[in-house]
Amino acid sequence: MNSIYAFVVGPLAWIAWGVFIFGSLYKVVSMYQLAKAKDGSSLHYMSFKYGMRSILHWLNPVGTLGWQSNPYTALVTFVFHLCLVIVPLFLMGHVVLWDQFFGITWPTLPDTIADIMSIVFVACCVYFGLRRFLQRDVRFLTTGKDWIALAIPALTFLFGVLAYHQIGNDKVMLVLHILCGEIMLISIPFSRLSHMLFGFFTRAYMGSEFGGVRHSKDW
Amino acid sequence: MLKRVFTIAAVAACVFLYMIPAFCQDEISFLKDPAFVHPTRPAAVFAHDEHNEKAGIEDCAACHHVWEDGKLVEGESSEDEKCSSCHQIKPESGKTGLRNAYHKLCSNCHIEEDKGPVTCAGCHPNGGAAPSGH
Repeated sequence: MNSIYAFVVGPLAWIAWGVFIFGSLYKVVSMYQLAKAKDGSSLHYMSFKYGMRSILHWLNPVGTLGWQSNPYTALVTFVFHLCLVIVPLFLMGHVVLWDQFFGITWPTLPDTIADIMSIVFVACCVYFGLRRFLQRDVRFLTTGKDWIALAIPALTFLFGVLAYHQIGNDKVMLVLHILCGEIMLISIPFSRLSHMLFGFFTRAYMGSEFGGVRHSKDW
Repeated sequence: MLKRVFTIAAVAACVFLYMIPAFCQDEISFLKDPAFVHPTRPAAVFAHDEHNEKAGIEDCAACHHVWEDGKLVEGESSEDEKCSSCHQIKPESGKTGLRNAYHKLCSNCHIEEDKGPVTCAGCHPNGGAAPSGH
């Protein structure tokens, strides 16, 4: 079992990070070239001012009609993404590994806070799952790809929480946690998770069109 | 009479002297390094003698090593020193910090031998030693 652990934190981690970084670069560049070839005028109208205006409004959880009309989903969305970014970056167990492999460290969250945020994250995933299942309009729009995009981070955090609370075999839980995390990295460029790369760009595009062409708000 | 008392006293003294090490050195069961003033996890479980017997380690220098100028010194060991006398909590750049020293020494060997714990919980289980120095 130790050799499996060594494999997932060693070679597989390099592969996952490599696919994530180079896959993301490839996606961004190829998407830009596609836009240039097929829709040059939209690139012409891209505006930093209107793009940022739209992004900033949508970064406010009560700043748009869309968020206001779905307050619970808005709240869960913001909490979900904050936990998703903050916990992995500042978890002590992760920083310890960066220290061990590369000799670099940075400040960490107290374990209790990270633990609460992780459990809240899993609860947010359950909310999203129920919403996809129970709310008719969302259910109508949901495909298998959406379930995959939800399941990958949900399982990653769930196994992380189980490993931290020492529920189940510690090595099995940790290896599953790391494996899911690596699947997440690999799938960012090639799945619905690519909104990490394109989300802000899409917002900026909408803002540019609404601001610079239609002269109206998009929030 | 005096001779008898002297003999008994001498025997008692010998027994007492013999037992001093037993009082001084408790069997090591946790790696509770007092250099960690505010440890976040419970001290790592480590039964020194049992571990070495199981792992077949007879050379103290396998863990209690000596490094000089970035090289391992063969044939020298450092079991009379604290890990923290070389490995600082906040190391100078290029040197191995105390936390890293423990983590690397244990987990690298456990991976090489494919035996023993490698996860956080494997060494720092809940309900292990209290998360504080001596």
